[in-house]
Amino acid sequence: MINASEVLSSIQSAFPGAVLDSRVESDRRLWATIDSKKILDVCKHLSTKLDFDHYSGAAGVDWIARNEMEVVEIMASHGAHQVVAMLKVKTPRENPSVKSLTGLYWNANWYEREIWEMFGINFEGHPGQYPLLLPDELVGAWPWRKDFKGYPDLTTGERAVQITTPEGYTELHVPPTPAEVEAGTVVKERPKYPSFREREEKEIKSDAEMIMHLGPQHAMVPGPFLLDILVEGERVKKAFLDLGYIHKGIEKIMENRSWLQGITYTDRMCYVASLSNNECYCGAVEKILGLEVPLRAQYIRVIMEELSRIQSHLIGTGEFLTLVAGVGYAPWQYMIMDREKIISLIESVTGARLTHTFVRFGGVRNDLPEGFVEQCRKVLPFMKSRTEEFIELFAQDPIYSLRMENIGSIAPETAKRMGCSGRVLRAAGVAYDMRKEDPILVYPDLDFKVVTGTRGDSADRIDVTLREILESIHIIEQCLDKIPSGPIKTEAKIPKKVPAGEAYYRVEDPRGEMGMYVISDGGDKPYRVKVRGPFYATFQTLTPLLEGVYIADAVAIAGSMDGCPSEADR
Amino acid sequence: MDGIIDSITQFQAQEPAIFALIIGIVGAAIISAVVNVGAMLVIWGERKVLSDFCNRYGPNRVGGRWGILQLGADAIKLFTKEDIIPGDADKGVYVWAPIVASMATMLVAAAIPFGALHIGGKDIPLVVANMDISALYVEAALSIMAIAVFMAGYSSNNKYSILGAFRGMARMIAYEVPMGVCIISVAIMAHSLNLVEIVQSQTIWYAFAQPLGFVIFVIALITDLGRIPFDQSEAEEEIISGYNTEYSGIRWGLLYFQEYNNALLGSILLAILFLGGWQGPIIPIPILDIVSPLIWLLMKVVIILWCMIWVRSSLFRLRIDQVTDLGWKWMLPLSILNLGWAVLIGSYFA
Amino acid sequence: MGISDVIPVPVSIDEEIEKWTIFGQPVVEAWFTTTEKIHQIIEMGPIKNIFNWGRKNSVYFLMQPMGCCGVEMFVFGAAPYDSDRFGCIPRNTPRQTDVMIISGYLTRKYLPVFKNLWEQMPEPKWCIAIGECAISGGPFYDSYNIIQNTADYFPIDVFIPGCPPRPEQFLEGLMNLQEKIKQRKDKRDY
Repeated sequence: MINASEVLSSIQSAFPGAVLDSRVESDRRLWATIDSKKILDVCKHLSTKLDFDHYSGAAGVDWIARNEMEVVEIMASHGAHQVVAMLKVKTPRENPSVKSLTGLYWNANWYEREIWEMFGINFEGHPGQYPLLLPDELVGAWPWRKDFKGYPDLTTGERAVQITTPEGYTELHVPPTPAEVEAGTVVKERPKYPSFREREEKEIKSDAEMIMHLGPQHAMVPGPFLLDILVEGERVKKAFLDLGYIHKGIEKIMENRSWLQGITYTDRMCYVASLSNNECYCGAVEKILGLEVPLRAQYIRVIMEELSRIQSHLIGTGEFLTLVAGVGYAPWQYMIMDREKIISLIESVTGARLTHTFVRFGGVRNDLPEGFVEQCRKVLPFMKSRTEEFIELFAQDPIYSLRMENIGSIAPETAKRMGCSGRVLRAAGVAYDMRKEDPILVYPDLDFKVVTGTRGDSADRIDVTLREILESIHIIEQCLDKIPSGPIKTEAKIPKKVPAGEAYYRVEDPRGEMGMYVISDGGDKPYRVKVRGPFYATFQTLTPLLEGVYIADAVAIAGSMDGCPSEADR
Repeated sequence: MDGIIDSITQFQAQEPAIFALIIGIVGAAIISAVVNVGAMLVIWGERKVLSDFCNRYGPNRVGGRWGILQLGADAIKLFTKEDIIPGDADKGVYVWAPIVASMATMLVAAAIPFGALHIGGKDIPLVVANMDISALYVEAALSIMAIAVFMAGYSSNNKYSILGAFRGMARMIAYEVPMGVCIISVAIMAHSLNLVEIVQSQTIWYAFAQPLGFVIFVIALITDLGRIPFDQSEAEEEIISGYNTEYSGIRWGLLYFQEYNNALLGSILLAILFLGGWQGPIIPIPILDIVSPLIWLLMKVVIILWCMIWVRSSLFRLRIDQVTDLGWKWMLPLSILNLGWAVLIGSYFA
Repeated sequence: MGISDVIPVPVSIDEEIEKWTIFGQPVVEAWFTTTEKIHQIIEMGPIKNIFNWGRKNSVYFLMQPMGCCGVEMFVFGAAPYDSDRFGCIPRNTPRQTDVMIISGYLTRKYLPVFKNLWEQMPEPKWCIAIGECAISGGPFYDSYNIIQNTADYFPIDVFIPGCPPRPEQFLEGLMNLQEKIKQRKDKRDY
């Protein structure tokens, strides 16, 4: 397996002069600044010669002091090697423009749309540069730039104004904030693009077709998003996705909070499994600080995260079952009751049911209470027998196989190309798990399998989820056997101002590969935090997957992705 | 007692028309009260039993520990809600859809015998209209609910409702035919279409004499009633409550209520056709021996309803194309097979 | 006038009906006078009490998870924090619900949709705000996309603080709403 320095030398030999600046952080991390004219060739070289077939994400950074903006492309591989290459492309702050990678990587689409609407960086060659997360009235204000004046918004009173559009729809618009008006930065000319409704209605070909809204108010996944399907009778012809109904702007808010306060915001991103988010952020900051986490704290972190994974899988599966079986379906209620047992275990340690904020820089917040290990050993065998019962229940149910088999199948190559990760990818047959690819904490010392499926359809996804619960139980039992005594927090003093640096840290969230890219400029607040959420990538696959299925299947497929739109929208 | 019965039979012989009219009016009043209260108990029972399957309590605050007045509170709330008719809806059809649904149920209730009273060694059936073709009539009247569903969905001017309406139509059309064929098979064995005589002729229950017909009829009944696994026309998660998406207040209450009314009447029909109706040993206690056929029928209906709720809490919902596949490709040929079987052995039940 | 507070009357009256007369009197006037009289009878305590008893014991809420508190809303409707004990079941369509639960952050993009849902609900209706984000923006008090002052857009009856509150607090909030419904003797003014 090649390592980072070999990748760097390969790029430098193939394209002399393309690499303006580089840093090999470790065997698995490469940071390089690439000349913006050669970025397409370098990426082609990486994807064809060096097996970088996983486009993980892209981040935009606004270096206002240097009067330039940066787009950081994150490249990885689906198992051929473990190197993550962070390629930076610089562009001036006036009329910023960068070449788009959608030709090479299909799933670069949404990342570049988001960078465009937040920073104003134009991507040349992008097929459809429309806003994704922002409401129409904020496009053009480029909210994530450092000189965005419409923030913070502390006005009170009813600011929204009801207007009637020329087509006859009534809409609510929020006029510019007083701060914006005072600073004179009200956007006068918004960029022109066809609105979401126009893009949809362009696709209607005949009178027999109609657009049905599945959302934003729906019971499919916990969180609003708009899924419009163009149906003819009962068949879906095309699907349209719109996000942003739960976009809180966490990445911008975290730039205005101290390092420690930022941990509470990571909870609220994917709230069903907030411990993994905490871990991701704290791990990235620990990398910048160079902190060493004591062994007991590492074991505690692993135990907590695996427990969090179990309860996240339970509610994800259970909620999906209500979609295909109605609210009165008994196993869903049993799953919720079992989840309560796990949640009380987690609550006894962290003190909260949902948003834990338990992981700290260099350790954890508090130790395991007395009696936790015994209680765990009582609950886990019960969970194991229950999960095996569920697996058997679904395996022998004929209506289950009628409804779920061969529905929403994704072939392994398609799944890799679309950038899915987590159980969706593993159900398709690709054994890609961050706990093996980018091992953190004590995962190298633990023995567990990566659970894969065969067909990649909904039934496989549920099966993989349930068997992953069994694997997590196995991991927790090993940890409980091996956990040493010792300090739970590092003795080194954590400074208030983190020294300048950057780090990218990856974790296996229950939904897939989660990554956080943290930049510090030496201050007491983060300079930029970019969250690479797993469901953001999996969401993109929904639109092509829903063509030609029945409405009932469309709902089943959307639900079986086990999503958390909150983490897609941040 | 005998004197009263003699005078009543005399009156019936002298003035049959007026007798039938009086029985009709009084019976209609009693039956609608009984059936509606029964449906309320069925809804309450569903909420409680479903909660029991799901490992929780159902309503247990309203009206005591069993929450028996929960339906009363629901009804009061629905009566006092604002009445909303969507602007572009077809107002006439929209308003009449719940009324047609109630009419359908009452039409069925007029011809179904609700048990019998064991007076003087004979079973006097409790039925308002003792028709010679009541089996066929009941089946036809049960299917008027399909029209009500379509009216509701079609007139709402809503994409979800229209999908629910079409699915309801497809489902009911596919399953009316097997249901009718099963009823005919029972009638062939009983040598009569009169529901009362069908009960009286069941020396062995038709569930054992025609097991295939029993299974098909049960499945067709569950589909006709629109219960899971066949409730696509109001599949809540997919099409946001289907055909009654735009209904609010008491109009929705009526539609929801008639579903359970139909469930009650359908279960009584199932008990009468296949499970021996009100047949059973007479309880030797003085008052109970008069109403013991009633008690047997009630027990059978309760068990059937409990099984339907059990099915609801443990099975997945089928897709609409799978439902119609099942109906046309499997139920129909099997029911015709069952008809052949009934003809073959029906001659032994002379 | 307060007629539609209790008695369901059609919202729009056809122009045809306005021309009808009975014994020389316009029917519409007679109709209104009768309903006025009935309304006055109902204003007396006992009947209003019965109506409010019915309304408070069967509160249907809209199945609409919006944020972190939305997950707790799912749990609140299912075992073991069963809300069906109080007669409170989730429905999917706003036409059949009584209470709108704002369970999480309200963003600028979602506000028009939410207002639409609120206006589709028939009267009488109530609103519960769960969690800090619904009350005042919560930890996102300075976000450019979150509506910080939901009480200015919707008339919120019960505020349940917490981030997120436990499902038992949801139940307590529901019981507080029931208490409020029970004592509601006249029409809410908004």
